[in-house]
Amino acid sequence: MPVIYFLIYLLTMIGIYSLLAMSLNFQVGFTGLINFGQVAFFCIGAYASSLLVTKAGAPLILGFVGGMALSGLFGYIISIPTKSLKADYWAIATLAGGEVVRLLALNEGWLTEGPFGVMSIPQPLRWLFSKDSYPLFYLFLIAACVLIIYFVLSLLTNSPFGRNLKAIRDEEDLCLSLGKNTRKLKLQAMVVAGMVAGLAGALFAHYITYISPENFKPIETFLMWAMIIVGGRGNHLGAILGAVVIQLFNVSTRFIGGYVPLGSDTMAALRMVIIGLLIVLFLLYAPEGLIRERKKVYHLKRKHIE
Amino acid sequence: MEDPTGAYPGRRGLISYVKLVIPFHFLPHARVDTYSKVLGYYNMDFSQIIANSLVRGAELSLLAIGLTMVFDILKFANFAHADYAVLGAFLVYSLNQVLGLSLFLAVILAAPATALIGICIDTAIFKPLRRKEAKVVTAMVCSLGIGIALRNILRLIWTSRTKTYAIPIQKPIEILGARLTFTQIGIVLTGFISMVIFHLLLHRTKFGKALRAISDNRVLASACAIDSEKVIKWMWFIACCYGVMGGTMIAMEHLLYPRLGFDILIPVFCAAILGGIGNPYGAMLGALTLALAENIVLALDFSYLISLGGLFEVGPIQISTGYKPAISFVILVAVLLFRPTGILGRK
Repeated sequence: MPVIYFLIYLLTMIGIYSLLAMSLNFQVGFTGLINFGQVAFFCIGAYASSLLVTKAGAPLILGFVGGMALSGLFGYIISIPTKSLKADYWAIATLAGGEVVRLLALNEGWLTEGPFGVMSIPQPLRWLFSKDSYPLFYLFLIAACVLIIYFVLSLLTNSPFGRNLKAIRDEEDLCLSLGKNTRKLKLQAMVVAGMVAGLAGALFAHYITYISPENFKPIETFLMWAMIIVGGRGNHLGAILGAVVIQLFNVSTRFIGGYVPLGSDTMAALRMVIIGLLIVLFLLYAPEGLIRERKKVYHLKRKHIE
Repeated sequence: MEDPTGAYPGRRGLISYVKLVIPFHFLPHARVDTYSKVLGYYNMDFSQIIANSLVRGAELSLLAIGLTMVFDILKFANFAHADYAVLGAFLVYSLNQVLGLSLFLAVILAAPATALIGICIDTAIFKPLRRKEAKVVTAMVCSLGIGIALRNILRLIWTSRTKTYAIPIQKPIEILGARLTFTQIGIVLTGFISMVIFHLLLHRTKFGKALRAISDNRVLASACAIDSEKVIKWMWFIACCYGVMGGTMIAMEHLLYPRLGFDILIPVFCAAILGGIGNPYGAMLGALTLALAENIVLALDFSYLISLGGLFEVGPIQISTGYKPAISFVILVAVLLFRPTGILGRK
């Protein structure tokens, strides 16, 4: 039944993009770091994991860990300039950083096979399942990852660490004046976000089993941005909802494309026009997104005042 | 952006790779063929490198000026700027190839048309944001969305196939050891004249005075009865016109396709930041410096370094042309890290 397989594919992609959107939301919605190179984490996670497994012959679990670690390391590296750069300059630098990562994957053919991509990437626990039931298993694996990451990130953002990050987002100077090491906090936030996105990349590579630089074009970053703008920044459910909405739209229009007398290029262009307009319209008329951030108000108790 | 030209993703990658690289590298005469051992083992033809840099610098500076002006007055980085320019270049294409107008006339008609679109976008999107006093970051993300939408509207109207203008193939002529076509000489001259006009505009007109006043102190300017909204409209007009000229030049030199806007965005940002963002003269200088750096890095032969100063035989080693887009990225990041105010600083 192809419809069921299509649904499983759709849900799997929604899961992977939820992780990416949560990671971006952690940077943008909680810490206030405008990252236009989010796809670089995704790319590094996917390439590191698949190359470790296919070329170095490492076990799969090591591939996943390696992908997350390298991606976290990249988060560390690109967070270094935040100490001296203003938000908009840093955003331009991250856009450039994302492109450099893709160009490296494209040009360093000895390692990444260049434009031909890495092929026949093994899948975890493949031998336990039949060809038909494996996608369902992978869906559960991804759902489990999304749940775990959701809880871990919620724990982090409700902890004093998360409150410090929000303080950086709202008033960085105030945060500094309270003696917080904002530079270190930003760095930690980027490493956490990088690891989450790296996990998404590894999950993607081992699901698709074939990756090439084509999978990691800047347009992916724009999709993730559309997700967090539509879903709402500053809360994890918003990021997941955004991933659901945008992926449903993105994949279903591809599905409908077969029935509409328009070329695939026209459909793809139309889809991106709508996503671009969605970003603009949401920012203009619903800047908080579908799910708005619940701001905690700490009431002063009377005895504290007295 | 998806590219439907290939059915198989690997092939697709190769095609877009060629599209990305060839346009910037097709200058055949730029290849280093004189193995004159200038500076040890560096093989380059200086006058040719300078000539090529002048051409690319002229193109980039026309785009960087608009970007830097918008940043100066509205305080946000306009990620859609290069896409406005490519929109104009496509209008020029239609006027030139479909209606058969000459390129010069086509630019004169297309530039105000694009500027009008730019002003409409400003009134519809950026003006409400200004009125709401939204954060600059919101405007920046908005411009990213506009860029995506615009790029794909171009794809809807003109398809993703590459286009060229109706320019006859020219035989290059030799000037001081460098070989240039008449088109390239025209680009350099137009760039130079545009810069002079921009300088006069900034210092000899009422608009320029108002623009400088707003850039210095917006509150004080409005207290002096300067209608900032009107000045902002004119600023968009000029930024778009210059952008269309730059975009058309790049399309003349290379190829025209809808994603061109994204491909030139980083070099343009780099040029603007290199010279000190908000400073139009810096943008010109930054564009020239970046163009020179791009050409020199690609012409450098690293075999001297790799062979540890000629200890053993190594063939010529040069940076893969696939990394040409990366050069401006690396320069951009380096400038941002070590001198975020640019060469000239912020005015």
